Amino acid sequence: MDKLVAQYSRPSHQNESYSEQEQQDLTESLPPLSLKFALPPVANPSAFLRAMTDDHSNPSCPIKLAHGTTTLAFRFQGGIIVCTDSRATAGNWIASQTVKKVIPVSRLSRGEDKPTNDPTPGLLGTMAGGAADCQYWLRYLSQQCTLHEIRHKRRITVAAASKILANLTYSYKGYGLSMGTMLAGVTPQEGPALYYIDSDGTRLPGNLFCVGSGQTFAYGVLDANYRYDLTEQEALALGRRAILAAMHRDAYSGGFINLYHVKEEGWVHHGFDDMNPIFWKTKLESGEFSNVTSEL
Amino acid sequence: MPGFDFSNYNRNAALHARGVPLPKATSTGTTIVGCIYDNGVVIAADTRATSGPIVADKNCEKLHYIAPKIWCAGAGTAADTEFTTALISSNVELHSLSTGRDPRVITCMTMLKQHLFRYQGHIGAYLVVAGVDPTGVGLYTVHAHGSTDKLPYVTMGSGSLAAMSVFESMWQPDLNKEGAIALCSEAIKAGIFNDLGSGSNVDVCVIEKDKPTQLLRNYEKPNERGLKERNYRFPRGTTAWLNQKVISKEDMKKYVTIETLSGDDNLAAGEKMEVDV
Amino acid sequence: MGSPFDINGGACVAMVGKDCVAIACDLRLGMQALTISNNFPKIFNYAPSTYLGLTGLATDVNTVSDLFRYKVNMYRLREERHISPSDPGQPGQLIVPFICGFDSIGCIDFAKDFIVSGTASDQLFGTCEGLWEPDLGPEDLFETISQALLSAVDRDALSGWGAQVYIIEKDKVTQRLLKGRQD
Repeated sequence: MDKLVAQYSRPSHQNESYSEQEQQDLTESLPPLSLKFALPPVANPSAFLRAMTDDHSNPSCPIKLAHGTTTLAFRFQGGIIVCTDSRATAGNWIASQTVKKVIPVSRLSRGEDKPTNDPTPGLLGTMAGGAADCQYWLRYLSQQCTLHEIRHKRRITVAAASKILANLTYSYKGYGLSMGTMLAGVTPQEGPALYYIDSDGTRLPGNLFCVGSGQTFAYGVLDANYRYDLTEQEALALGRRAILAAMHRDAYSGGFINLYHVKEEGWVHHGFDDMNPIFWKTKLESGEFSNVTSEL
Repeated sequence: MPGFDFSNYNRNAALHARGVPLPKATSTGTTIVGCIYDNGVVIAADTRATSGPIVADKNCEKLHYIAPKIWCAGAGTAADTEFTTALISSNVELHSLSTGRDPRVITCMTMLKQHLFRYQGHIGAYLVVAGVDPTGVGLYTVHAHGSTDKLPYVTMGSGSLAAMSVFESMWQPDLNKEGAIALCSEAIKAGIFNDLGSGSNVDVCVIEKDKPTQLLRNYEKPNERGLKERNYRFPRGTTAWLNQKVISKEDMKKYVTIETLSGDDNLAAGEKMEVDV
Repeated sequence: MGSPFDINGGACVAMVGKDCVAIACDLRLGMQALTISNNFPKIFNYAPSTYLGLTGLATDVNTVSDLFRYKVNMYRLREERHISPSDPGQPGQLIVPFICGFDSIGCIDFAKDFIVSGTASDQLFGTCEGLWEPDLGPEDLFETISQALLSAVDRDALSGWGAQVYIIEKDKVTQRLLKGRQD
């Protein structure tokens, strides 16, 4: 496939960036949204959906969405760190402890999570909020990125990809979508780029984001220790430590620590590890988490 | 008599209307029945207690003592049947002591219905009252709002339809003791097998003229749990623990504030309660 | 607004063994999603070999445990003997292993196997029903009740963060602090 793409594509354009006009053309040349969803035959579908799914106000609601997460991503001199927990809850019930909340976006890397040390080209998206909404729309985004790559014979920028998603969520505003996602990627045009997109239609570029019910705990650790000139090892440790703090204090975060590093050549997976041994190791080796004692 | 405090009732109703769920009470989604025969009366119940969709107790007792020859089967909110029958049992005892007569079933039924009516259905007790007294055999149902019924055979609870179908097809006017027990047991089994709120075993109580009352606890056990094919015992040392403390009986007495006086006979004798005769 | 029973979280379980009983609880105190404390035991001691586990709203757990402490002290002064779980028992002597459970309005569940309560009660029913067997000795009962509790709270967001277990025997009580997941 790589061969085929190389055969029909122009040599890659270093340091080339899109003008405002080009960006406009690119997004407008996308096919109009033709996704038609069947809506419940009621006067106000979004209010109906809320009534059916909001287990906060109605614990016996018929549809329980998976909520509760901690995800984080930050830019540093060596690229972008993306780290998440792995818990899925429906109400207070822990539905799964092994959810993959980092979703590779773009044609070349989609769905491939093979254990290799070589970087895989492409973007990474994170998942917070409704699991189905995130999976479905990030998959749709992946499709659009692939189409972009075929049409324009070059990889999509993170800015353009995030805009596709933000335009999409904005067009469905008020229909009850629930997603808070971060898109991370390194492109020749932008360098390391990180965007936050949510179901309200918000799209923000930034250096550092935490999303989910445990976001405040992760921000606490991150803000205390974050510097742009972190080394790769320091950055990975910081991402892991911030998620660990959130898993400890937030009831709806926990399970395994999923850690990624996005760099120029693509992303590298740095493990999907049970938090339990990591927690006790952190506690015993560095004396942190002194609130957990063995006193009786 | 102690009563309920309704001062938070409006607050709770408002909270409930805004979506705060009611606390889960153990309810006896139940089958209870009663049936008279030539020389007495039989009542029977299943033994399942549920809380929502969960079976909270697989072998609970739903036949409650009121007086030696008056017994009660309870359905509805478990705590309410338990405490209502206990309260009425006390009052029936006091009443019989003050009148010097054996208590009557109709007296007990009247006390129950007056008590339940006063609380307008907030006490969720649905009862079958049965007994033998100097006036003969009595069998009544009492609903939570205070209405009552007097019938030769009765059923109540969520399994009442299944049980009644057995009575309607098999009851005869001239039943003997064995026949009545068998019929009641059969009716409960109909509830156990056909109603999801009822289950486990059959309890039977036989109250007969001029004979001691028999409580046949677990008269039938049609739902015995099969033996496990293998055991799931964990090897010792499986569970990791961080700290342990062993408290001997002697140590324990140090933690409670006051040493007991009991060992010392002289001291105890001096403290004995004086009783007026 | 959630139910008062699942604001603070917490789980409790008791089991009958051979000439012994065990009671265990988790250690979490939360406010909805936020874990406030991981050292909030829910088991209280009232006399040699009489223990009470309380779950639900933490303020009520404190109120009831203190009120019960007061009532037990008054009982001991009045009766001149220790209180026992079933009340008519001999002072300070565990004759028969006995456990029972209550719903929030006082319905007693006399069980011959196990009693569960708290936000993980559904999960505990499952683990206990699967793991409990009759006539377990103190050491085996400890493993069974510990594994039943730890497995149950691992599937409940609102309980966990360590656990305490009491194994109550004729002449001694062993209290253990379990190493549990901290998420």
